[in-house]
Amino acid sequence: MNGVVKVSRRSFLRTTGIAGSGLVLGVRSLRANRPGFLDGATDAAANGFQPNLWVNVGEDGAVRLTVHRSEMGQGTRTACCMLLAEELDVDLESVEVIQALADARYGRQATSGSTTVRLNWIPLRQAGAAAKHMLVAAAASRWGVEAVACSTKSGSVIHPSGSESLTYGELAAEAAELPVPDDPKLKDSSDFSLIGKPRKLLDAPEMVRGQTVFGYDVMLPGMVYASVERSPVPKGSIGSYDAAAAKAVRDVVDVVELEPNATGLTNAGIAVIATNTWAAMRGREALNATWEPGPLATETSADYRLELERIASEGGRVVRTEGVFDVALAGADRIIEASYHAPYAVHATMEPPACTARVEGDTCEVWSSTQGPLWTAGEVSGALGIPTSNVTVHITFLGGGFGRKSKPDYAVEAALLAQKLGRPVKLLFTREDEIRHGFYRAESFQQLVATIDAAGNPTGWLHRTVFPGIGWDFEPGGSEPSGGELSQGMTTMPYRFPAIRMEAGTVPSSVRVGWMRSVCNTFHAHAVNCFTDELAHELGRDPYEFHMEMLGDARILRIGGDRQFPFDTGRLRAVGEAVAEMAGWGRSLPDREGLGFAMHHSFFSYVAMVAHVSVDPAGELTVHQVDCAIDCGPVVNPDTVEAQMQGAVAMGLTLAKYGRITLKDGAVEQSSFHDYPILRMPEMPRVNVKIIQTDARPTGIGEPGVPPTMPAVANAIFAATGRRVRDLPLEGQDLG
Amino acid sequence: MITLLVNGERRTVDADPSMPLLWALRDLLGLTGTKYGCGTGLCGSCTVHVDGEPVRACLTSVEFASGNAITTIEGLSEDGQHPVQEAWVEVDAAQCGYCQPGQIMSAAALLARTPRPTDAEIDTAMAGNLCRCGTYQRIREAIHRAAEGGGT
Repeated sequence: MNGVVKVSRRSFLRTTGIAGSGLVLGVRSLRANRPGFLDGATDAAANGFQPNLWVNVGEDGAVRLTVHRSEMGQGTRTACCMLLAEELDVDLESVEVIQALADARYGRQATSGSTTVRLNWIPLRQAGAAAKHMLVAAAASRWGVEAVACSTKSGSVIHPSGSESLTYGELAAEAAELPVPDDPKLKDSSDFSLIGKPRKLLDAPEMVRGQTVFGYDVMLPGMVYASVERSPVPKGSIGSYDAAAAKAVRDVVDVVELEPNATGLTNAGIAVIATNTWAAMRGREALNATWEPGPLATETSADYRLELERIASEGGRVVRTEGVFDVALAGADRIIEASYHAPYAVHATMEPPACTARVEGDTCEVWSSTQGPLWTAGEVSGALGIPTSNVTVHITFLGGGFGRKSKPDYAVEAALLAQKLGRPVKLLFTREDEIRHGFYRAESFQQLVATIDAAGNPTGWLHRTVFPGIGWDFEPGGSEPSGGELSQGMTTMPYRFPAIRMEAGTVPSSVRVGWMRSVCNTFHAHAVNCFTDELAHELGRDPYEFHMEMLGDARILRIGGDRQFPFDTGRLRAVGEAVAEMAGWGRSLPDREGLGFAMHHSFFSYVAMVAHVSVDPAGELTVHQVDCAIDCGPVVNPDTVEAQMQGAVAMGLTLAKYGRITLKDGAVEQSSFHDYPILRMPEMPRVNVKIIQTDARPTGIGEPGVPPTMPAVANAIFAATGRRVRDLPLEGQDLG
Repeated sequence: MITLLVNGERRTVDADPSMPLLWALRDLLGLTGTKYGCGTGLCGSCTVHVDGEPVRACLTSVEFASGNAITTIEGLSEDGQHPVQEAWVEVDAAQCGYCQPGQIMSAAALLARTPRPTDAEIDTAMAGNLCRCGTYQRIREAIHRAAEGGGT
């Protein structure tokens, strides 16, 4: 049984509201576990959106392709449509793109983990291929010819004689009566006409005209605007506030308290409701709210770092061993040791979290800038006390996501307010809210120790990492780093040391920890690549040559991959070699300039980078160029891969230079772009991208470019200045 | 009531005179192409033109803007055919697209006064427009392309 199923026309109409008829196909995920999700939906609720991965060919000839993942700049909508259109043989420009509603029939609908193309590479092509197969069969039947003798092009089936053709629209009704093929034949990659060719984003023309609808652009009749004052410390409670003063602000209509929700996703808040955003924001200022900070108001960043160091020094749970590190230590001629620290960091999406909600009776509809539509549906359902099937989640365009918008806290708040007020509510985080009420990339401290024998050979590698795990947000004891988190660049270290020991320490946190683009890879890749560079220097070796030597011959690692997506060190070597050639590794540079090398495997992709920097005598850093090679298997849209690498370098540079969230008594100290800067155009280096196409399965592109950026720059700074960057960010450090 | 001249049309808004133009455009006039990013003039997402000059709509009151010609992304061209918009599509500059209206308004203002900007002039003019997706390299390329197209 493949993943393609035919659905009833009634179901299609009910869930999409599209009055078109004809051939309707959906892709049923093998992981779908809640097939009854839409059973409670009514025809009246249908409103032009679609809840499943459909190929719809209308009798009017319109081809509608549905995208179930969220678009946040990573080219998802374009890539998904390319996969469908490739096998269906329709022109990409002629299709209508429909954004799906939240629907459990997709299985994994969350846009996270750089998974969209990786997990949909086959199912979406099957959907296109099955539709084409049925259209061809319908044409062959009408003509009385063999289906295999017919061909397809640009939305038409062509007669074996070549003299006559029928459009898909003309065939739709007949095709709809035919059985869905069990195993539609997919094109050989040599026959691809779309996949692998650079294509511009389908949504760009609307974007440049300001017509794209993001979370905060949704307008509903009778809608009011909400701005929510929240406890500066998670789990704090309301002290006092002046509702009358807030209501005295022009256009403010109400002040409403929000209870924290049971799942711990939202905190207590005071919402100011107004007929426009400005009034809601001013009303908030007038509240003059005070808070009872609660049990988490203890953490201060300077102390927290000392705590992380203390835990690291005591060692931790052993998470990987090879050989016996203590033996290597006892026999060492030299011991090299370094520690690395990275603070909390926040996403700073250009569009802060935003959601619009409408509650009518026991039904709720939200329009959310979300990476997690199903989680949104579940949380809203729980918060409102209504069945999940009564919650409709529309996915808007996201003005950046980077993991922040996986969490549906803002949708819960909007829905609760809409329920309390009995009218539609649009809720926007201010920039200050986004910085202070985020789910932060974990703060981390890592200790690395290498042993060298008398002959100068590396013999042992000890890596201790300490950071609060994401699990603590939701479960007591959940702050212990999970295997998944540790496999993000720590336990997957691919270098050959006779003895390896890795340990993970557990530390509580007082902020909510979240996923941020590449997650734990960002700090693990920094430590592993920088420490390898340090070893090379200690041994008098060229850093690039040393990385390659420690990587060794091509082999499949038991870690970091799986059967479908094995971790092949040969592919990592290949991107390393490619980038060294691109950058002219080994060339001589003027004084105070340097090249730095780093490579990293994450989200099953392989990325290597060389950064070219200069540091002037006053310590001013300029990153001139970053060369980058990526192997992510077969590429759907090379233009997008290049863009994602350029963007990843910008995000990595921001983390390297500025990314720092600090706490005082449990509250975030930063508030906006003046104290949480992000990279500006004059700081943007030239980024050259080489894509190495391999004949494997496609893997991630949204995240893998970030991790190598920080260590490539740090290693280049060392090459230019002799100064090691072991603490991030660079801001405030003297590089002169 | 305050009268605003937006994209060539006279529009009236019932607003507190101190309301930033950003919110009048978005919430009262439904022109949502102008974006909120910080509200304090640090990110450039809300850039519009007032009498041809790029300004931050989050720091410009409706009272101040009244009587001046305001151009938003929706009014930059009738059909997306402004050379900057076309260049943006040609080089595929956008990723998420959220900051791009502000980027485009800043770039259009730059090219209006400096038809052939250097990289350094582009960097200076665009330094106030943040992009978290990191599209700066392609924005530079798009501005150069628009400059070439506009000069022939």
